[in-house]
Amino acid sequence: MRLQPMNLPRQCLASGHSKSCQTASIATAEASVQTRKHADAEVQTEVPAPVGARTVAQHDSPRLAAFLRRVEAMVIRELNKNWQSHAFDGFEVNWTEQQPTVTCLHTLGYPPAQGQGLHVTSVSWNTTGSVVACAYGRLDDGDWSTLKSFVCAWNLDRRGLNPQQPSAVVEVPSAVMCLAFHPTQPSHVAGGLYSGEVLVWDVSHPEDPLLWRTGLTDDTHTDPVYQVLWLPEPRHSHRFQVLSVATDGKVLLWQGGGAGQLQLTEGFALVVQQLPRNTKLKKPPRGETEVGATAVAFSGFDPSLFVLGTEGGFPLKCSLAAEEAALTRMPSSVPLRAPARFTFSPHGGPIYSVSCSPFHRNLFLSAGTDGHIHLYSMLQAQPLASLQLSHKYLFAVRWSPVRPLVFAAASGEGDVQLFDLRKSSQKPTVSIKQTQDDSPVYCLEFNRQQTQLLAAGDAKGTVKVWQLSTEFTEQGPREAEDLEQLAAEVAT
Amino acid sequence: MQAEVEETLKRIQSHKGVMGTMVVNAEGIPIRTTLDNSTTVQYAGLLHQLTMKAKSTVRDIDPQNDLTFLRIRSKKHEIMVAPDKEYLLIVIQNPCE
Repeated sequence: MRLQPMNLPRQCLASGHSKSCQTASIATAEASVQTRKHADAEVQTEVPAPVGARTVAQHDSPRLAAFLRRVEAMVIRELNKNWQSHAFDGFEVNWTEQQPTVTCLHTLGYPPAQGQGLHVTSVSWNTTGSVVACAYGRLDDGDWSTLKSFVCAWNLDRRGLNPQQPSAVVEVPSAVMCLAFHPTQPSHVAGGLYSGEVLVWDVSHPEDPLLWRTGLTDDTHTDPVYQVLWLPEPRHSHRFQVLSVATDGKVLLWQGGGAGQLQLTEGFALVVQQLPRNTKLKKPPRGETEVGATAVAFSGFDPSLFVLGTEGGFPLKCSLAAEEAALTRMPSSVPLRAPARFTFSPHGGPIYSVSCSPFHRNLFLSAGTDGHIHLYSMLQAQPLASLQLSHKYLFAVRWSPVRPLVFAAASGEGDVQLFDLRKSSQKPTVSIKQTQDDSPVYCLEFNRQQTQLLAAGDAKGTVKVWQLSTEFTEQGPREAEDLEQLAAEVAT
Repeated sequence: MQAEVEETLKRIQSHKGVMGTMVVNAEGIPIRTTLDNSTTVQYAGLLHQLTMKAKSTVRDIDPQNDLTFLRIRSKKHEIMVAPDKEYLLIVIQNPCE
């Protein structure tokens, strides 16, 4: 093959500049290195020993007795010395950087929702503690069933977080009253609507987030859903179902079925005639038989025990295992049961929030429109303590996940109040002003993974993430015992 | 023999403030315990490793020396370990505040 000479392209004349550049001389140095000592080691992983090895292993009783004889005297001496020692009195060690005050880390909002005058009705942290979601709706006015609303989620660990631009926004056809993230799936969140529906979304798919919905069937709530929770399924504890409570008096358990439909698996109905009569209650208006439920909390110690807050202001101790049928004429595909086992002494107005202590099986808090917090023990109807925190309503109360004696409350006067029962049982230790114009704070949640964070949502449509001072995140030495003592003040 | 072992452990357990007592063998496997299974296994494994490390630290500093007793004081309680060639005695005490 012969190479043909190509026509060389004509030189193009163009005006141009020429520049030259040169880097400064680069400094270099040379050094030589040699190891003088070396060692050989072989490494191999071993199959980890199974946990729960037999505790009574083969051993030689005489040798064990001889060992104990040798060490007993020394151990007893040390135990006695320790018991009388004052060597460590007042000695405290700080392992983490001390944070002296409460600061506001983030102020998050979604302008289109705020522009519509929507309130933040509920906040929830996801299972990894890095995403906070809020539900927009309204808590004061009546019929907003045709108002479009939003659920927004912000990923706080992402770089370049824009507080006015949530990482995920879900449009919802009706006001959302409550929200709860899935306990193990970081992006699944359940919400209860003003229309009575319960929906489950996946916020990692913003184009098509809806996973399951109850739809508007005979089983659905007929009143706004005030709280939703995720519960482990009784037989498969890694799968979860959704529990919803509404002011129609029903407590319903839903499971995600095929075709995006939430199926009703179990249901409970509260009827006035079936309330336990251990506490004298005001007679309800004629004709009303349902008891509206406005809040629910499960005890971490007994998975079938739960506390309901009601519109009548009295908390109810209920059980998932209740078998008595409910005397209600509400239609339902699953037989409705009466769950209430014990009625507690009421507040002066409807309850908005209940919270069970994560450190003591018998203690729970309730907060309501009378501006009071009641600390109840499961063992008696009268509250152990009644604290007035606000002259307006109290919308939310939550126990701290790390300090047994600390809880936080959201008030209608625009503050988040932090109570440390170790310091004072009468007034809040810290009162954080969230809104400038005293508009109410409607919801708050502690972050269980990053325990110094507390998210609170208010009537201006903003969610503020507060970083708590170290005094609220580190347990004192005898807190669990002090809580035990508090709970034991049950009147005999 | 068996009775003597039980008597000794009962004496230690009944001391003021003692929350738990356990005996662990040289492989870190619990032999006797007054606590529940999962807590015991956790304490046994972790303290066995820590005791071995403490023992080697003492001997590295001075080969003529040896570990006789190990005490760990934490915010909530004190853990005492009496080591030996074949066994470890672990006692957890909640000291008077």
